[in-house]
Amino acid sequence: MGRISFFLKEAFGSLRRNYFMTIAALVTVFLSIVVLGGVLVFVFTTDALLKEVEEKVEITVYLKTDPDPTAEEVAIMQDQITSWPEVKSSSYITKEQALQRLKEDYADSPEIFESLTSNPLPASFEIALVDPQTVDIVAARFEGDSIVDEVRYGKEIADKLFAFTDQARNFMLIFIVLLGIVAILLISNTIRLSIFARKREVEIMKLVGATNWFIRWPFLIEGITVGFLGALVATAVVLGLNHYLVGTVSDNLAFLAMPLDAVPYVLVTVILLAVGVVIGAAGSAIGLRRFLKV
Amino acid sequence: MIKFEDVTKIYPPSTVGLERVSLHIEKGEFVFLVGPSGSGKSTFIRLLIREIEQDRGRIIVGGRDLDTLRSWKIPYLRRNIGCVFQDFKLLTNKTAFENVMYALVVTGNATGASKKKAAEILALVGLGHKSDSYPNELSGGEQQRVSIARAFVNHPPLLIADEPTGNLDPDTSMGIMQLLYRINKTGTTVLMATHDREMVDRMRRRVIALDNGKVVRDQKRGGYGED
Repeated sequence: MGRISFFLKEAFGSLRRNYFMTIAALVTVFLSIVVLGGVLVFVFTTDALLKEVEEKVEITVYLKTDPDPTAEEVAIMQDQITSWPEVKSSSYITKEQALQRLKEDYADSPEIFESLTSNPLPASFEIALVDPQTVDIVAARFEGDSIVDEVRYGKEIADKLFAFTDQARNFMLIFIVLLGIVAILLISNTIRLSIFARKREVEIMKLVGATNWFIRWPFLIEGITVGFLGALVATAVVLGLNHYLVGTVSDNLAFLAMPLDAVPYVLVTVILLAVGVVIGAAGSAIGLRRFLKV
Repeated sequence: MIKFEDVTKIYPPSTVGLERVSLHIEKGEFVFLVGPSGSGKSTFIRLLIREIEQDRGRIIVGGRDLDTLRSWKIPYLRRNIGCVFQDFKLLTNKTAFENVMYALVVTGNATGASKKKAAEILALVGLGHKSDSYPNELSGGEQQRVSIARAFVNHPPLLIADEPTGNLDPDTSMGIMQLLYRINKTGTTVLMATHDREMVDRMRRRVIALDNGKVVRDQKRGGYGED
């Protein structure tokens, strides 16, 4: 107990005393965490956007028209589709509904439909999936079915989209890891500088017979404090900015359907604070290491 | 107390620190270590507190062979050796009292009793009234007395002083010497490296003279130079 309060007193005393170094370290942590947080927010937002796009991948199953399938056959297929766990929702579009849609699409030129004597459009199922990545598997199940004419799911578009989203996620992950390393190096360097300025102090502590841990604790507490405070301010800035930007974007670019809750605030806060504390502590430990030898 | 057996220390690439030094210092002795700069006095002291390690030979301090001393035990060795330096080595951000306390806190002694002890020792070195002063508010002699108080507060069996009067005027030096003398009287072995010819001549204690890393003289009641 006496020891802990001694360490705390030492740590906060020297944070105050070496305020210039404290500020330098704080700014370094702050900037690193702002960049890291910015990337995190970007990752979450694009991820949400991509998910939204992915969700638009759906399967359309066109049924044969000559002859049209019986109501019974349609009902059997409907049951089958809804029984698959991959399927989120499905709807049956009758021939009439299909024609109606087409007419709506070409409402400007109704003359196209004047020559129609019968309805040439096929009935179809439109299927939305739980996981858009399963589109291949689900589509394949219709192959060879006697009442199915054609299965369309924009295979190429879907494949390209998935390839792109996978790659985008990987890139971001690599970027985040690299950024974390850079932040640790930067901070341990700053802290090393501040410790270098206090080399004499450490030397005296060792001469008086302080153990390495006795010397280390106040420095660790300092590092953790700086990391936490820097990360706290950075988190507030990043999330505040995100909140503001999302609001502006969704006001002005309504068509983007910006997912407002894309960024999990609590999770991001916890991650950023944890990263701040870890790099603060790691920076102190790494910075102190060479001075503790002998 | 201290035993050197054929100790050699070479600083890479080939600077001789100490060369084949053998000597024995008994418990309770007062010993002057003299010699010109670069003669090996500092090397001798740094070896004793295990700041550096010898290349050859054996060093035994207080019955412990420093060669077999695990590195995590070094702090405990140092708590049994009080150190006083020419540049005082006080923590500038701590008061005189806190500097003395630090040596106690390090050993896990931050109790009321140890506070009393620190205050007592400061009074003993004549600085009871300045215990709340910071080092930069104290004169050189006062700072050195704080550093002696810190070195002695744990009552170590061995006290090493490396040029403790090097930065002080003759009168102040005399005061410091008297302090070390009194500490020696309590049974603590005192080893003092010095350039102060007058002091050594006046005290008439054992003198070990080093030159070029070798012991060139070891006299029971010697002076600074050859008698």
